[in-house]
Amino acid sequence: MEYPVQSGFRQQPEVRMRGAPVDPGDPRLLFDDTSAGGIGHRQALLSDPVSNLAMVYGSSLASHGREMMDQNLDRFIPISKLKYYFAVDTVYVGKKLGLLVFPYMHDNWEVSYQQDTPVAPRFDINAPDLYIPVMGFITYILVAGLALGTQNRFSPEILGIQASSALVWLIIEVLAVLLSLYLVTVNTDLTTIDLVAFSGYKYVGMIVGVIAGLLFGRMGYHLSLLWCCVSIFVFTIRTLRLKILSEAAAEGRLVRGAKNQLRMYLTMAIAAAQPVFMYWLTFHLVR
Amino acid sequence: MSGFDNTDFFQSSYSVDDQNQGGYGYSDPNDPYSKQYEYSQPMGYSAPPGMMQPQQPYMGQIYQPTPAFTPVSPQSMYGSSFEDEPPLLEELGINFDHIWQKTLTVLHPLKAADGSIMNETDLAGPMVFCLAFGATLLLTGKIQFGYVYGISAIGCLGMYCLLNLMSMTGVSFGCVASVLGYCLLPMITLSSFGVLFSLQGMLGMILTATIIGWCSFSASKIFISALAMDGQQLLVAYPCALLYGVFALISVF
Repeated sequence: MEYPVQSGFRQQPEVRMRGAPVDPGDPRLLFDDTSAGGIGHRQALLSDPVSNLAMVYGSSLASHGREMMDQNLDRFIPISKLKYYFAVDTVYVGKKLGLLVFPYMHDNWEVSYQQDTPVAPRFDINAPDLYIPVMGFITYILVAGLALGTQNRFSPEILGIQASSALVWLIIEVLAVLLSLYLVTVNTDLTTIDLVAFSGYKYVGMIVGVIAGLLFGRMGYHLSLLWCCVSIFVFTIRTLRLKILSEAAAEGRLVRGAKNQLRMYLTMAIAAAQPVFMYWLTFHLVR
Repeated sequence: MSGFDNTDFFQSSYSVDDQNQGGYGYSDPNDPYSKQYEYSQPMGYSAPPGMMQPQQPYMGQIYQPTPAFTPVSPQSMYGSSFEDEPPLLEELGINFDHIWQKTLTVLHPLKAADGSIMNETDLAGPMVFCLAFGATLLLTGKIQFGYVYGISAIGCLGMYCLLNLMSMTGVSFGCVASVLGYCLLPMITLSSFGVLFSLQGMLGMILTATIIGWCSFSASKIFISALAMDGQQLLVAYPCALLYGVFALISVF
């Protein structure tokens, strides 16, 4: 490559040792963007072919290791499936929060499908998502810290204790539901992530209860928690009914049979567990 | 040759020397392989114009990889000539003009942000802001640099995971850290107010809430424009508000 020899160092950036920038003529990009993966940037520090060989081999090894890690991570945590649960927008979150607190006016609880795959939560309010449960969990931990702080019982370790105990109860609940679904041999398309999402919706009610307790005292806490418990109970029953029960029973028609009765009991048990957990995880925060 | 996955070990016929030979031969696809046996000079000046790629003579150099680009003479001038070295700041990647531009973007939360400003991730500005925040906290007697760093690390990690899951295009960790660090600037004004008067009254609460809203609004505005997410600004602003709320908690209490 022949470069015109110019005076001064201003021409040097085009020959940077970090490799060619995406668009050498781009005036906005003064420096190279070295943020997104450094595998492609090679430095020809020496013209010695052996060290070049070593460098090329090393970088190919690094990229190979990175690919392997990405593949293995994808086996344990299905990233693409998780992305579906985060495809939300503000309107959906607002409506869903309203539904969690006041589910009595909503009519159609069915999840809509598009050629066998469920529609993204953006377009269907009945679809489960993971944004609200994750944000609810984090907010619950921070609100718990705040509540304990106003009672002068706060220390940074308390946050960790609260977080881990809430997480453990969540895991126990999801495992229990999975076990009971297996025992009852229900043919349902509820995945584990769906169950985590449904179990995470109760954090919204817990947060409302604790904040009301902070603002209005014990009476406020009990009243708002009662309201949120009933709402979550109704919400869970109406959502899970369509997933667990057979179609006929879900439409409300009376279907006899031990199997349907068992499924109905299972749905009610899952729904009844929600208020129990909500009370258990918040009563020690409000004095 | 099909077993060679790593093409760098293969004597590729494409070397940088040949790339600048002008456009001849590239637009003429007919008979690309009829001249393969003609092992002419690598520079290809004597090659007929119809050839696709000038072939290099195969001299048994299969174990010697062709470097992706040959070390060019101007590069070797880096070490040799002192006058031709770039200035220190440019070599470190610190560009004060860009830092100032990004700071202005943060300080005007209502102005629409340009999505391209986050193409360069620079952590120099955020580092300065973190240190300034810790310094203002020091002025009130709280030696909490450790908490500031720890919370910013955890917060950046959390935002990185969340934004990668929520957006169509991914985002790099440096970009997230850079944006969150820049939007820490209003929090510095809050903690400097805390030096002068106590923030635990009603006025302090209102000021804290305003500053948290300002920080998270700017951060979400920059993320939205850089990642082209629509209808999700409040969703991105909420976790930012949680993060800055924890910082505010450190400042106030």
